[in-house]
Amino acid sequence: MPPRRVDAVSEAAGILECFAAATATNEPRTAPARSPPLPLPRAPPPNSWSQLARPTAASVCSIGREGAVKTTPDPTKDYTAISRRTLIRTWGPAAIAGLALGGTGFALHGRQGRHQPPLPDSALPLTDWRMDANDRRLAIAGDGGPVENLRRALGAMGGIEAFVKPGEKVAIKPNCAWDRRPQQAANTNPELVAELVRLCLAAGASKVTVLDNSCHDPGRAFDRSGIAAAVKEVGGVCAHQNNVSTEVRNLGGTVLGSWEVLRPIVEADRVINVPIVKHHSLSRVTVGMKNWMGAIVGSRPNLHQRLAQACAELGDAFRPTLTVIDATRILTGGGPTGGSLAQVKNTDLLAVATDPVAADAWGASLLGVEPQDMPLLAIAERLGVGAVAWRSVEIGVEP
Amino acid sequence: MKIRPRHWRIVSQSVFLIIFLGLFFSLSVSRVPGALASAMLALDPLTAVSTALADWTIPRWSWVGLIVLILTAVLGRVFCGWVCPLGTLQHLMSWIAGPNKRKRAKINRYRPYFALKYIVLLVLLGLAALGSNHTGWLDPIPLLHRAFAAGVRPLWMGTAVPAGWIAFALLVAILLLSAWMPRFFCRVLCPLGALLGLFARLAPFRIRRLEDSCTGCTLCVLPCQGADEPLGDHRVSECHVCLNCLEVCSEKSLFYRTAGEADVVSPMPDLDVGRRRFLLTAAATAVVAPVLQVAGGGFKGSSHDAIRPPGALDEEAFLSRCITCGACSASCPTGVIASDFGKTGLGGLFTPVLNMRHGWCEPSCIRCGEVCPTSALTLLEPEAKQTIGKPAEVTIGTAFMDRGRCLPWAMNTPCIVCEEMCPTSPKAIEFESVQSEDREGKTITLQRPVIIPEFCTGCGLCENRCPVGGQAAIRVSSVGESRDPKNQMLQRVIVGAET
Repeated sequence: MPPRRVDAVSEAAGILECFAAATATNEPRTAPARSPPLPLPRAPPPNSWSQLARPTAASVCSIGREGAVKTTPDPTKDYTAISRRTLIRTWGPAAIAGLALGGTGFALHGRQGRHQPPLPDSALPLTDWRMDANDRRLAIAGDGGPVENLRRALGAMGGIEAFVKPGEKVAIKPNCAWDRRPQQAANTNPELVAELVRLCLAAGASKVTVLDNSCHDPGRAFDRSGIAAAVKEVGGVCAHQNNVSTEVRNLGGTVLGSWEVLRPIVEADRVINVPIVKHHSLSRVTVGMKNWMGAIVGSRPNLHQRLAQACAELGDAFRPTLTVIDATRILTGGGPTGGSLAQVKNTDLLAVATDPVAADAWGASLLGVEPQDMPLLAIAERLGVGAVAWRSVEIGVEP
Repeated sequence: MKIRPRHWRIVSQSVFLIIFLGLFFSLSVSRVPGALASAMLALDPLTAVSTALADWTIPRWSWVGLIVLILTAVLGRVFCGWVCPLGTLQHLMSWIAGPNKRKRAKINRYRPYFALKYIVLLVLLGLAALGSNHTGWLDPIPLLHRAFAAGVRPLWMGTAVPAGWIAFALLVAILLLSAWMPRFFCRVLCPLGALLGLFARLAPFRIRRLEDSCTGCTLCVLPCQGADEPLGDHRVSECHVCLNCLEVCSEKSLFYRTAGEADVVSPMPDLDVGRRRFLLTAAATAVVAPVLQVAGGGFKGSSHDAIRPPGALDEEAFLSRCITCGACSASCPTGVIASDFGKTGLGGLFTPVLNMRHGWCEPSCIRCGEVCPTSALTLLEPEAKQTIGKPAEVTIGTAFMDRGRCLPWAMNTPCIVCEEMCPTSPKAIEFESVQSEDREGKTITLQRPVIIPEFCTGCGLCENRCPVGGQAAIRVSSVGESRDPKNQMLQRVIVGAET
């Protein structure tokens, strides 16, 4: 039997025959007897570079069989015969690779991929940190310095113990956006912030974080405002956009949607907003609700295209346990950055409120701005954040 | 004349080369389905493998490439010898101008540096796994595709760019090298060949030599394409299955078939990569990938002002999928899509960016998304990129007025071209009418164009038609592109929320 010239198709057919023969029956195969495999004349491995660099005709020829003598194929041999073991060894790897590739392709094909643009507004909303959603009060105290004013106003509201329970994590959000000294009244009074931290810790809070997403370099802002030092002294922690991470939260509304929020706020059990009353070039007055700009991270400048709406919606999204309005010194012009001491007015007032809109309206009144001149208050009231008529929720304070 | 295996191979190579060129031309023929027009790119297994690594997806039709891999695991590198158009062009080149017979005996021997292609593959797949998909730089199918899309087509579109020169020069260099050594690129550099080589090592079908009749005459070495030593320890991973050796064997001792018990059982030589070199390369890739991402530019869409074609994924996903084949560019009816060089950094080399002085993004055209083989440009509805009554869902940027160059603004010269051309409804360009005096003191009414960014889709027709030459007086910037929520200037208004 002469050796066949084998092309792929007839070879495949031959393989199938062999496969059928090998698998269909357990009887001994009836392939023609084969001579045992010849000892193989080994060619020198062509891997050595020195040999390959200048291959000579001799070295080329020597790859073949040494001292080769032309022989004719043995007509009694079946050159296509194949054992089961050889069959598995030749086809097995290809079959495994095929299955693995097919599986991978099936698993991955048409997937959306792992990089996906953030889904708009699929994030969770924020926690509501209020103790009682129906509690709407405003307590004003003055003429005692920030610490004494806070003690009296808080006392009228029932004391810090009514708002911070033992073991809770508290986030305090002052205005600490600017590289300004306390006297310049661009940031919240550091003594007030420190006193709040101290009170919260005394009430049993497990951790008190004072945080802001500062507009100036946050390290400088926290240092120059005196807040970093004062908070550290009483055992609080300062956080800002450069040293804590954020988490995306859906703030809702018509202009906000999803934003990154500083993580300590997201994780807090109680949140206290401690803004300062300041003039603002665009919104006229910046008090409490605008202060939430410092809780979010992202392209905040864009929010200033519809600032009133954005601030009111921030007030709707962030429902703090307490709002403490710092009016120890207020900035009457050049806000929100200020700088000139001539525009700072010492008022020595302070308000503690559970109604953010009333708190803002009271703050605006200190700068002589009527609520109807501040569209943000009307929008916030419509959103149900609080009452613009702050006198209606004001409570008396012991002298 | 007897029909031999080689003749079938030549027919296959010619057919696939013609198909490749035909499909390339059909990219811009909107009657041809987009997926068909880029079918040759989907056939490329490296596309599927690299996007699977970079973005954990095998998009669109690129799973077909996995079938090619499976075939390779059975038949060997038939893709290289029978299909690959770049291989065919090199084959042709070395047939016309290649080394003579005497030189071929030496130059068709295997050399250890042929293992470089496995290093190239390792680096490219390593980069892909770390999020920077750059296989398209050297993958032969995108490489050839890009050479035509960026280097040839712009010549008659009048939209030539520097990247086109580079892309075409790469092809020329590959062809010239193949005149010195047949299929130099395939043997030494091709990452696709390396990938297929790895799978070919499993192939039951391979060149097999009959022990009894081979005399070691070396005739089979002369026409060998892959330098795979059919006579020595056959390197299946290098063999292109060109089947030239079968034909020239005067003893009829070579066969392309599965194992026969009487064949020479030659051990398969290892790849000349080596464990140490493998580990070193992998480690170096892991170091270079982040550097390339940070220093190579291109990763933050808003950091460069490159305008991507409509439907582009966000920049990170886009770069992890784009194989820089240039299909979008070759499909663009206006020629606005150019191959980038420099604008988006090294990371974005050859990626598509829009050049509005070359063309504009036709409002109802979605061809680039149709043909993109990896869905780096997603398939859009034509309505999505048009402002009809309400702002378009998909925008690629926003037009800005340069009042210092605009004729009515800067030179008191009437001109309304941009407003006239603006395809949105309502128009994204309005007029501000002012009374002014011309140089003779006559009172004239000027209509000064003002942009309404909400309606602007960034299509660039205004910039394209602006009569101010050089830098137009109205130019599109990427800000406002719908794919990147961070690259925005206008405050978002969520429709339907409580106010």
